Amino acid sequence: MNNHLRELREQRGWSQGDLAERLDVSRQTVNAIETSKYDPSLPLAFRIAKLFRQQIEQIFEP
Amino acid sequence: MTRLSPRTYDRRVLIAMSIYVVLMICVWPLARNAANIPLKLVYALTPVVPLLYTVWLMARRILGSDELEQRTHLIGIGVGAAVTSVFSIVTGFLAAAKVFDLETTSIFLIWIFPLLMLSYGIGRALAARRYGLGACDDDSDGMPSYIRFMYASGIFCVVAAIAYFYSGDERITSFALGMASSLVTGAVFFGVRRWLRRRKAQ
Repeated sequence: MNNHLRELREQRGWSQGDLAERLDVSRQTVNAIETSKYDPSLPLAFRIAKLFRQQIEQIFEP
Repeated sequence: MTRLSPRTYDRRVLIAMSIYVVLMICVWPLARNAANIPLKLVYALTPVVPLLYTVWLMARRILGSDELEQRTHLIGIGVGAAVTSVFSIVTGFLAAAKVFDLETTSIFLIWIFPLLMLSYGIGRALAARRYGLGACDDDSDGMPSYIRFMYASGIFCVVAAIAYFYSGDERITSFALGMASSLVTGAVFFGVRRWLRRRKAQ
């Protein structure tokens, strides 16, 4: 699944570590999601959407 | 539960496993010639203490990890359970058929826990690699692999020295030296790989 997580993160000037801390996950998990190697669970996708104030489908594309 | 940093986890597990190895080689053999049953129990079960601490550390790490890390732990535990189960049942069949004597069977039983840990580690590393996490290698936030291997090698060197100078047990000395040299080989491999990756990144 493709996503715009990296663009959104970089727009805010956050590092992967900063985003990981805000989402309460590891930096490596953020990296795995950004590189589309791992699709997050629905609760984590909701946390991401809430953090960036966007709809899930605006961030994640099938 | 508080997240345990990979570096802290690595350090604590290394210390616990070092104590385990030293106890297994220096204390556990005393159980055979202990004067009474309580002392025999103490000598025989003392190495279990660092193992229980390691199990507790693992539980704490897994409970404090995020969903992707938990998935890789689950795969690792699955691989570990499969490998250990097959090893146990094969050993059990052979022991029941009296291919081994009781002493040999008990030695196999001692190796079940290290085998579980090893196969769990390999399974988790493979799963982590699939997700680009780089567990057990130098991309992770934990201790670099070559340092881990060098440290473990140092422990086996100490054990070899203790066995050679104090007990004079050639079997333990040669086993410990063999382990130490294998671990140094691993350290060199990971060290060279790290150096090549860093040079490529520059």
